[in-house]
Amino acid sequence: MKMYSTIKDIIVASEEVYGTEDAIRYKVGKDQIESKTYTELKQDSESFSRVLEQFGVVGKHIALTGPTSYTWLVTYFGIVNSGSVAIPLDVLLPTEDLCELVERSDAEVLVLDDVRADVAAIVRERCPKLKYVISMQKEKNDTEVLSFSQLLNENRGSFDVEINPEALCTIMFTSGTTGKSKGVMLTQRNLAENATCLDMKIESGNVVLSVLPIHHAYCLSMDILKGLSLGSVVCINDSIHRMAKNIKLFKPTMILMVPLMIETFAKKLEDIIGIPPEYVKKEVFGEQLHTICSGGAYMNPEYIDLFAKYGIQILQGYGMTECSPVISTSLSWNIKKGTVGQLLPNCEAKVVDEELWVRGSSVMLGYYKMPEETKEALQDGWLKTGDLGYVDEDGFVYLTGRKKNLIITRNGENVSPEEIENKLSEARLVQEILVREKEGLIEAEIFPDYEYAKLQGIMDIRASLQELIDQYNIGAQSFKKVYSLLVRDTEFPKNTTRKIKRY
Amino acid sequence: MLEQLKEIIVNYVEVEAESITMESRFVEDLGFTSFDFMNMLGEIEDTFDIEVDPQKAGNIRTVQEAVDYFTSIQE
Repeated sequence: MKMYSTIKDIIVASEEVYGTEDAIRYKVGKDQIESKTYTELKQDSESFSRVLEQFGVVGKHIALTGPTSYTWLVTYFGIVNSGSVAIPLDVLLPTEDLCELVERSDAEVLVLDDVRADVAAIVRERCPKLKYVISMQKEKNDTEVLSFSQLLNENRGSFDVEINPEALCTIMFTSGTTGKSKGVMLTQRNLAENATCLDMKIESGNVVLSVLPIHHAYCLSMDILKGLSLGSVVCINDSIHRMAKNIKLFKPTMILMVPLMIETFAKKLEDIIGIPPEYVKKEVFGEQLHTICSGGAYMNPEYIDLFAKYGIQILQGYGMTECSPVISTSLSWNIKKGTVGQLLPNCEAKVVDEELWVRGSSVMLGYYKMPEETKEALQDGWLKTGDLGYVDEDGFVYLTGRKKNLIITRNGENVSPEEIENKLSEARLVQEILVREKEGLIEAEIFPDYEYAKLQGIMDIRASLQELIDQYNIGAQSFKKVYSLLVRDTEFPKNTTRKIKRY
Repeated sequence: MLEQLKEIIVNYVEVEAESITMESRFVEDLGFTSFDFMNMLGEIEDTFDIEVDPQKAGNIRTVQEAVDYFTSIQE
């Protein structure tokens, strides 16, 4: 297998070899599958590059949001293969946050799935820099929102431009420790080499079921870019609640998951007693599934043995968006227990004050328009991971903890405790608050303002605090919801600068 | 619908079927995480032979809202 340094090179090379074979499969209706070939994917994305050219926005920032779909992928490749910058945004973000990121990322075009029609209605008004809004489903252009399919049909044709591997190609937003999300700037080389520098000895025609959110680097780099570079068939899981059903429908050989998903399957498997493992494997995963890759958060190593009983190998990896994202991974023939795998060939590591620092061709350019945060994260080309750990003489990575406050939930989402603390502290009743992770979920510990409660005649302080949390939870993204509450009688212990001690 | 739904709910969280009421909130009262809830939707689709819209289902907070939504798409 060959290493590529631009995303366009991956798409062009795969189309040459696998042209008429299926690249993408997805559901239309209940149990019906439709597919697109490598040639169709390349042609459609080139037509979208021509749309951008016609709009005069080649090289500019283009935001896109929606669940994983063929249209999303065509849009993404159309953007980055024209030398423009893609801004993939989380489709589940609240309206205000989505508009804020469109504005902050200086996007001139927004391509969105109709599930976010709420955003389409107001985004032009909120974001003056935005010139065009394109709907992925709309059939005809109107004055406000353009139709993706109409634009594509009017601009059919090929598009070819030289791509500089060092050019910025994607900005991905990730939770920051200050509570404001940071735009991770990744180049063509960052992403393309992360996806193709390691030979995992996977045959072409391998069937991958893509179940992770597409705005995550892990999904984009490993499911999509790596999958397509290998001639795999990438199948799109339409909703997380249909994963089990879609495994039966698409019959994947490989799935990338976050630990929470693996845990859900593990619970089901542990409940099964007295049925032969071969039968269970066939019923739950199908005969063909042989590998699950895990990344995004800590995984209980016991699951590796549990799944091995059913003939499924779990390959554990480690990474972060700032490193495009993979830093290390296990390989089927190269596993060391207690580690998160071996460093990728394009990555070196060192330990500074117990913290792991990494350097190589996948390390980001920096955070978009955040010079201070960039200076904190990068030093002489080294990325400070915020993780405590070490690397052995064979390049295997051991992780021992986290340095930063950032919470990583079991589904791999990063949550800044300060963001939630700031929101909840707005209430007068909350005097001091600490938000932390407990068993993969979020817990808030609150020292209420007892004086205020007395003045207001609040009898049941706990119930009032719970009400505040319930209110907060309604508007919060699912992974930012607070699941448990502790009420303190005394102030939190503080350090010398009067900050609450987190640990 | 409610009785069948209760039977499904107890497979996902540690509650007694008798303690589930129409007013029970999935997250706050029954202890659902959003991931448990998504998993349960898969079983609900099979049991009631319906296709759930994940966006709409994401807005469900109480058992009453769930019963109303599932009934509306069953018809």
